[in-house]
Amino acid sequence: MSDPVTVLVADDEPLIREVLAEVLEAEPGLTVVAVAADAGEAAELAELHRPAVAVLDVRMPGGGAWAAREIRRRSPATRVVAFSAYGDSASVDEMRQAGVTTYLLKGLPNTAIVAAVRRAATG
Amino acid sequence: MPEQSDLELLVQNVVDYAIFMLDPRGHIVSWNAGAERIKGWTAGEIVGRHFSALYPPADVAAGKPARELEVAVAEGRLEDEGWRVRKDGTRFWANVIITALRDDQGRLRGFGKVTRDLTERRAVERALDERGRLLAHLVHAQEMERRRIAWDVHDDTIQSMVAVGMRLQLLATRLTGEHQAAVTRLNDTVDAAVGRLRNLTFRLHPPGIDSTGLVEGLTRYLDQVVSGDGLTYELTHDLAAEPPPETSITIFRICQEALTNVRKHARARAVTVRLASAEQGVHVWVNDDGHGFEHAGENDPEPGHFGLIEMRERAEIAGGWCAVRGNPGEGATVEFWVPAVSRGEP
Ligand SMILES: Nc1ncnc2c1ncn2[C@@H]1O[C@H](COP(=O)(O)OP(=O)(O)OP(=O)(O)O)[C@@H](O)[C@H]1O
Ligand SMILES: [Mg+2]
Repeated sequence: MSDPVTVLVADDEPLIREVLAEVLEAEPGLTVVAVAADAGEAAELAELHRPAVAVLDVRMPGGGAWAAREIRRRSPATRVVAFSAYGDSASVDEMRQAGVTTYLLKGLPNTAIVAAVRRAATG
Repeated sequence: MPEQSDLELLVQNVVDYAIFMLDPRGHIVSWNAGAERIKGWTAGEIVGRHFSALYPPADVAAGKPARELEVAVAEGRLEDEGWRVRKDGTRFWANVIITALRDDQGRLRGFGKVTRDLTERRAVERALDERGRLLAHLVHAQEMERRRIAWDVHDDTIQSMVAVGMRLQLLATRLTGEHQAAVTRLNDTVDAAVGRLRNLTFRLHPPGIDSTGLVEGLTRYLDQVVSGDGLTYELTHDLAAEPPPETSITIFRICQEALTNVRKHARARAVTVRLASAEQGVHVWVNDDGHGFEHAGENDPEPGHFGLIEMRERAEIAGGWCAVRGNPGEGATVEFWVPAVSRGEP
């Protein structure tokens, strides 16, 4: 068996980050190595753990876009996935410009979130 | 008599006042140059028609033209200010004086009607008076409140419900049989409620509304909400300057309502939004190529449907008007005008 895919989760809403971490952790082949509550923490933990995938809230203190840029700089191998309550084009563009290729809307079924994280890890 | 023909000449050629006569039953029997200029019809087109053609459909339905003649008969004259209709369907704010004309024996010969177009004057006056200030304040306050509610619902309620949904799905994977089915149903319920709340926040605070300019905001709204689903749009305008903020909000909100209707009801392929500076205000058309109204829209609003009523109320509160038309098969048009006069900061 190959090594599990390591994931970092960052969201300022505790309910969301806890359940997201649990959902991903419950999946075979995925392991959550770090959980952050804001952009600064996300960047630091990414540098420390070098996760395969970082799932970032777009509207968290410090800004999801800033966190995405920092993570790409400090841990270039990490793939960044946005997980946002906002699907408007401004938010999506902002993340795209920060190098995010996968944009997930909060409210998607867990199975879709898991599938997107797996795709990001291999892509 | 030379005096009389001079007088006739005067009446015929005055362009600042519409001066014309009605027969005792209200049919138009004469029409001067001012009437043609203000109302758009030539004498040939309008003489012989009943003068209710000059009133908005809602006023006609409410019996206003007939009532005005009754008052003029009873009291000799009637003065009124209100919206009247031009040939092209646009409206103007009219000061109207109707005088009953009687012969030597006191028999009613007909009515004289003198009408002035006060649209621009009223727009300027209302922008500058206390009412205009209050309106601007109210429109702004309402927007702020809507935005706050939308953000609260979005950032708090929806996020919590999304987390609950995710947890229910997780729980469902650990259960079996009827328990799993029950939890899955619970998740579907939460999911549907999240969808409804999203629609609510979207209506309360639509994309584009925070843009710095009206045209930019409408473009963003159209890009995001209207294009796609096989619907294309065109936005044209000749606005030289940005309207005052409260006017922009009023225009945006009416367009939003009209465009929501196009998406929801019209089964249209294309929608056109046109903004034009006119008479100290902005004249707007939202026109689709869908199947049009099934019943005469604006006069008999159906219970439980608020869009058309809200559009009209918004326009009227702002001191303007809004008209809706569209026969089956011809697409629908929402047309409105609102004053746009900068107050300048005191
Ligand atoms: N562009 C259009 N094309 C065809 N029919 C329309 C159009 N706009 C409105 N209608 C018809 O007019 C009715 C009234 O519209 P209105 O906006 O008042 O209510 P609604 O859209 O049904 O509900 P609400 O706006 O309160 O959510 C609609 O139900 C629809 O039948
Ligand atoms: Mg509607």
